[in-house]
Amino acid sequence: MHRRTLLKSVASVGALAVMRKFPAPAVAQGAAARTLRFVPQANLANFDPIWGTQYVVRNASALVWDTLYGFNDKLQPQRQMAESEELSSDGLTWTFRLRPGLKFQDGEPVLAKDAVASLARWAVRDPMGQMLIAIQEELTPIDDRTFKWVLKKPYPKMLVALGKNNTPVAFIMPERIAKTDPFKQISEYVGSGPMRFVKDEWVPGAKAVFEKVANYVPREEPSSWLAGGKRILVDRIEWVVIPDAATAAAALQSGEVDWWENPISDLVPVLRKNSNVLVDIADPLGNIGSFRMNHLYPPFNDVRARRAILQAMSQEDYMRAIVGDDTSLWKPLPGFFTPGTPLYTEEGGEILKGKRDLDAAKKLLAESGYSGEPVTCLVAQDQSITKAQGDVTADLLKRLGMTVDFAAIDWGTVGARRAQKTPPGQGGWQMFHTWHAGADCVSPAPYNAIRANGDKAWFGWPNIPQVETEIAAWFDAKDLEEEKAAIKRVNKAALDNVVYAPTGFFLSYQAWRKNISGVVKGPLPFFWGVAKTA
Amino acid sequence: MLGYVVRRIIATIPVMAVVALVVFSLLYIAPGDPAAIIAGDQASPADIERIRQNLGLDRPFIVRFGEWVWQILHGDLGSSIFTNLPVTTMMAQRVEPTLSLMVITLCLAIIVAVPMGVLAAWKAGTVIDRLIMAFAVFAFSVPVFVIGYLLAYVFALQLEWLPVQGYTPLSQGIWPWFQNLILPSLALGCVYIALIARITRAAMLEVLQQDYIRTARAKGVGQLSILFVHALKNASVPIVTVIGIGIALLIGGAVVTESVFAIPGLGRLTVDAILRHDYPVIQGIVLLFSFIYVLVNLAIDLVYTLLDPRIRY
Repeated sequence: MHRRTLLKSVASVGALAVMRKFPAPAVAQGAAARTLRFVPQANLANFDPIWGTQYVVRNASALVWDTLYGFNDKLQPQRQMAESEELSSDGLTWTFRLRPGLKFQDGEPVLAKDAVASLARWAVRDPMGQMLIAIQEELTPIDDRTFKWVLKKPYPKMLVALGKNNTPVAFIMPERIAKTDPFKQISEYVGSGPMRFVKDEWVPGAKAVFEKVANYVPREEPSSWLAGGKRILVDRIEWVVIPDAATAAAALQSGEVDWWENPISDLVPVLRKNSNVLVDIADPLGNIGSFRMNHLYPPFNDVRARRAILQAMSQEDYMRAIVGDDTSLWKPLPGFFTPGTPLYTEEGGEILKGKRDLDAAKKLLAESGYSGEPVTCLVAQDQSITKAQGDVTADLLKRLGMTVDFAAIDWGTVGARRAQKTPPGQGGWQMFHTWHAGADCVSPAPYNAIRANGDKAWFGWPNIPQVETEIAAWFDAKDLEEEKAAIKRVNKAALDNVVYAPTGFFLSYQAWRKNISGVVKGPLPFFWGVAKTA
Repeated sequence: MLGYVVRRIIATIPVMAVVALVVFSLLYIAPGDPAAIIAGDQASPADIERIRQNLGLDRPFIVRFGEWVWQILHGDLGSSIFTNLPVTTMMAQRVEPTLSLMVITLCLAIIVAVPMGVLAAWKAGTVIDRLIMAFAVFAFSVPVFVIGYLLAYVFALQLEWLPVQGYTPLSQGIWPWFQNLILPSLALGCVYIALIARITRAAMLEVLQQDYIRTARAKGVGQLSILFVHALKNASVPIVTVIGIGIALLIGGAVVTESVFAIPGLGRLTVDAILRHDYPVIQGIVLLFSFIYVLVNLAIDLVYTLLDPRIRY
């Protein structure tokens, strides 16, 4: 039996069970209405949002730590722990003032020195933070509530850096914790946010528990993503890690859990049949699939070979392999930036549009000098998205007449091997697949994968000065129009030179029980404003 | 006897040493890098290298192995690379669910399988025998996760008698504890029941041909007494052996069962640790399981002396 069929069959009985109106199991009935049980996308294996930058850690951390600024649903940074900010006329000195009355969860006041230490630790690990460090004159507290960040050159995207939701997020921690080496894990979890992490109940791989903080004072404004009043309407949130999708679907249907962050698309029709379950898009910013080539070695050190891939690839094939036949979940993406966001552009995207031209691609490939040498393709088998893309790519390369060295390995090994700059025959590689959260691709700021600065670039190490020049122009842009113009040029240059091959844009679902209200769409699950009735 | 036990326990030391060396070596040469997983998808190679250095993963094999052995000799299995929690703490969190699952499965299997095997042997060649053996073949052949899904389908979702997933500690009451373990134990126990039932049948068939059984029948001993008192005791050595060997099956099966039923046990900890390349946790678990297995074998050898007075150590 096909695994997907089996999963569907097992999960589908949930719909029948609910229709029969039998009493729920005691374990479900006994659950307190004040406890929200949430199935996260992955196991919370560590709890330091600076040391470990996985999304699941960021999502849990957003409950426990607050930020100076937070992105709202318009992707604009909004004041959060900050009361005000002031920029000197020369654009070099930012002065920030904290809101009065802010407290950490141990009752200690949040002081400027805490913010300074937190930002210093964050900046070491964050790409935008690293840019700030490179132009930093000083970052110092002025008084208990005020600190300044003096720069050597203007940095107009300062508030974006401090408020973005991409990992690592600039969370504010007590100074003694924030002074931990950014490459070492913290061991104390004193938060500045609306919920407390209950370390004693943490069973990594199974459960993480958060309790409402009584002395947290939310902002007055309505909440909007990471911004506004973070009002927690339940006493306790339990993250229940359920690794098996069919089990998670059954648990949601039986009421053993309340909210499932990422149901697989195969099970969504089953969940939709259940009158007690609601299903909707999780994150309107979605994800961008990526086919990453190594620019250091043949054949992909020649732009003609990279263009041959773009010319031959069918994004529809990739998208159907990843999310199935639900066409509302994906769309072709003739560019690199997230559809539906202000900077989205298709400039230079013609090569990805229209009928695929295999013959022209073969010709380009031959012109690049490729003559049948094996191409090492790293494919993580334990990630459904990478596996699906890898299978499509292997087929594509064979149709192009290429010899594929298909390395079926696990994600951890891909992570290690893709960092190797050695030639493909000596442990290196020629291509691997991944995907980027759409929230990371709204602008070049958090978007490592679009960078083309050679040795400093993301894996594959593209060296395309034109792309870097246009990215710099975006960073220096004074208004949205200038930004848009710069991004058009970035997109075109990145496609002309094939920084990487986008395989399409796709969305995913979330599902929750009908007695849960306040669930919003966003790049991470926002628990403020979410209520549960018995 | 006491001397034998002491000698066997001492003999576990070189066994464990070899296991430790092999496990450490395998993990050392295995591809994959926990630092890359920790750093995340957006991390630069330099970030990954810094994390690797801080975790001590860049040091030579002999240094890392020596340090690990030194820790073990001091009763310290180290800390998880990811959670920063001591491996002993992580295993302690997971022991109760796995132990509960294995004990209930073991009891269930023995209670069900031994009478089934005895019955099959008694009714050898009949429809009853064939039905029991057909069940055994089925239960041995179907993967644990398929049985788990089917059980969840019927008893959790259709009938709504039992929960789909999770584990309730024994401290919260016997029924809630047991309720969460019924389906996983049934799923895990199927293969074990099949194995024990087949061995019981085979052993009983041989014993039931013996002269003393015919004598017992001639003396008018009742059928139940012949089967369960006279025959079963003499057939029990291979049965006990297979029960012991089956503990390894249980350990392997627990990995799958705990994943299907979301039980936070050692099996899931093993899978998570392997997927993340969390070396200290993998090493700690393998050592623990090896030690358990060695002890189980010792216990079985000792049980032989109770079942068969001819066996002496």
